Amino acid sequence: MKKFCKIYLPFASNELKRQMSYKGAFYLFILVSLFGSFINYYLWMAIYGSSGKATIGNLTKNEMVIYVFMVYVTSSIVTITLADWVSEDVVKGSVAMNLIKPIDYRLSLMWRASGQMVYRFFVPGIFVWIGMEIYKVKALGMEVVSPVTALLYVVSSFLSFLLYLLFDFCFGMVAFFTTYIFGMLMAKEAMLSFLMGQLIPLSMFPSVAQKVFDFLPFSSMVYTPVMIYLGKYSGSELAFVMGRQVAWVIFLYLLGSLIWKKVTKRLVVLGG
Amino acid sequence: MIEVKNISKSFISPKKYPGLKGTIKGLFSNEKVEKVAVNDISFSIGEGEIVGYIGSNGAGKSTTIKMMTGIMVPTSGSCLVNGVDPCKKRNENAKNIGVVFGQRTQLWWDLPLSESFTILKEIYDVSDEAYEERMEFLNKVLELNEFFDKPVRTLSLGQRMRADLGAALLHNPKVLYLDEPTIGLDLVVKENIREAIKEINEKYKTTVILTTHDIGDIEELCRRIIIIDKGTKIYDGTLEHLKEIYGTKRSISVEVRQYDKVKDIAFDELLQVEKDAYETEYDGEKSVFTISFDKRKIKVPQILSILMERVDVKDVRIEETQLEEIVKQIYLEQKEQAVEELEAAANE
Repeated sequence: MKKFCKIYLPFASNELKRQMSYKGAFYLFILVSLFGSFINYYLWMAIYGSSGKATIGNLTKNEMVIYVFMVYVTSSIVTITLADWVSEDVVKGSVAMNLIKPIDYRLSLMWRASGQMVYRFFVPGIFVWIGMEIYKVKALGMEVVSPVTALLYVVSSFLSFLLYLLFDFCFGMVAFFTTYIFGMLMAKEAMLSFLMGQLIPLSMFPSVAQKVFDFLPFSSMVYTPVMIYLGKYSGSELAFVMGRQVAWVIFLYLLGSLIWKKVTKRLVVLGG
Repeated sequence: MIEVKNISKSFISPKKYPGLKGTIKGLFSNEKVEKVAVNDISFSIGEGEIVGYIGSNGAGKSTTIKMMTGIMVPTSGSCLVNGVDPCKKRNENAKNIGVVFGQRTQLWWDLPLSESFTILKEIYDVSDEAYEERMEFLNKVLELNEFFDKPVRTLSLGQRMRADLGAALLHNPKVLYLDEPTIGLDLVVKENIREAIKEINEKYKTTVILTTHDIGDIEELCRRIIIIDKGTKIYDGTLEHLKEIYGTKRSISVEVRQYDKVKDIAFDELLQVEKDAYETEYDGEKSVFTISFDKRKIKVPQILSILMERVDVKDVRIEETQLEEIVKQIYLEQKEQAVEELEAAANE
């Protein structure tokens, strides 16, 4: 286990260093990503203001504030698009350089992603989170989040992180068959932001659509941890949604291994 | 060390048609084309050998290397590297090999070179002492310390290639695959890289397989060469042997004062050979007379003594066919053969 960490830890720490080696991108990322959340925030405020209803889709106006910013925090640490790396590796043929090393390709990608996750957690994730908590207490007059809920949220977010990576790996494998997936990556991004509840809380959809979403793995990616944070689940329901996350992680892990086995059999390395 | 048995690889790709119309047609057709990249190649390479693996562009060199490194699965046939099947046990094989693909890098593009080396140290589980020792050696032969702290993306091609070679050798692999390691390098760097490969081979008894288009690499490094063309092996043996078979042409150039005297020499009578056994040429501007012949039919001293006896010779130069010429000749022969085959097929 110690050796295992020693081998793969550098992938994470290097990604972290890589992220910081481009200073312009570093500051720009914070600015741009926060910008989006604020747009979302004002949009929802306007919707609540003009609808006149106290709750929309099971969420009060104050809960919506939390929802918007927690979705931002969660998706910034969860949605690390490993498929981009896979497609880049395949298109440029650099996947060969990964395969000549005695390492597991998927694991190295996942560790690399976790480096980025740590980075995103600090910049600016945790500051937005803290800022939001302060705003919640001072301006909205709500109580600060309980440590248990915060802990459950962190655990659930971590499961979401794994879930997203494993899904994205399977998705990235398509690149090996088509050798070009840029368009599909864009489509995936758009679909996911919808299906994960990034754009609109899933609870606002009609109940039939919600049943479908429940059945798909995407709702477990961002929506579930944020709802846990809002305290919408308790007791057996909480156990069920987190259990579902674990089940998806296991399923996608096995699926990924299977696809990888098939892929390496018919691998074509481009160029050279 | 390496056993390759009847290895073949073919690629299946959708059939493409020319032009815009063809592109649209391609969207709807489901025809596939099979292209054989490597066709039934076998060879075995012993420990500590340096083997040059050469062939024209698209001959299947890189494909063979990729199969030996385990990143491509052969369509049929098998290979064993150090007793391990690289396709079935990729990880285990990866520990035994070092690879340099001249056109790619295995280094972390955005990070200082030193970081790449620390990662590789962990990946290959190199102990601290071994790492120190290896780095000292690599610094000596490749002079890595000049740019050890610079990000890889800022390195020049020559520096990057040295760094890549160093990275491939960090774990002291038993087999080293070099796919065009001197591509695009200047003469001095090329020379350094060759020296380094030689030293590594001597010191660690590393088996080296080298593909290249640079004949200098082959002449300086390899005792044995394998030539492939269109996926088929066409030569496997020592460099000397190849020169013996193909490089039978010799030419003697002499700088003379009076051309008239040389012109009148009847070589065919004096040597008792046919008139077409040799070719003569005279460059009036430089007053150089050149005679070329097959060394199996005519001996060099014979010609020399005839010339010396009869004319006043200022300077003599004897040339044997360069390896480059030989290789060119082989490629061309293969091409002609292929053209003939195509024509024959077309006539039928």
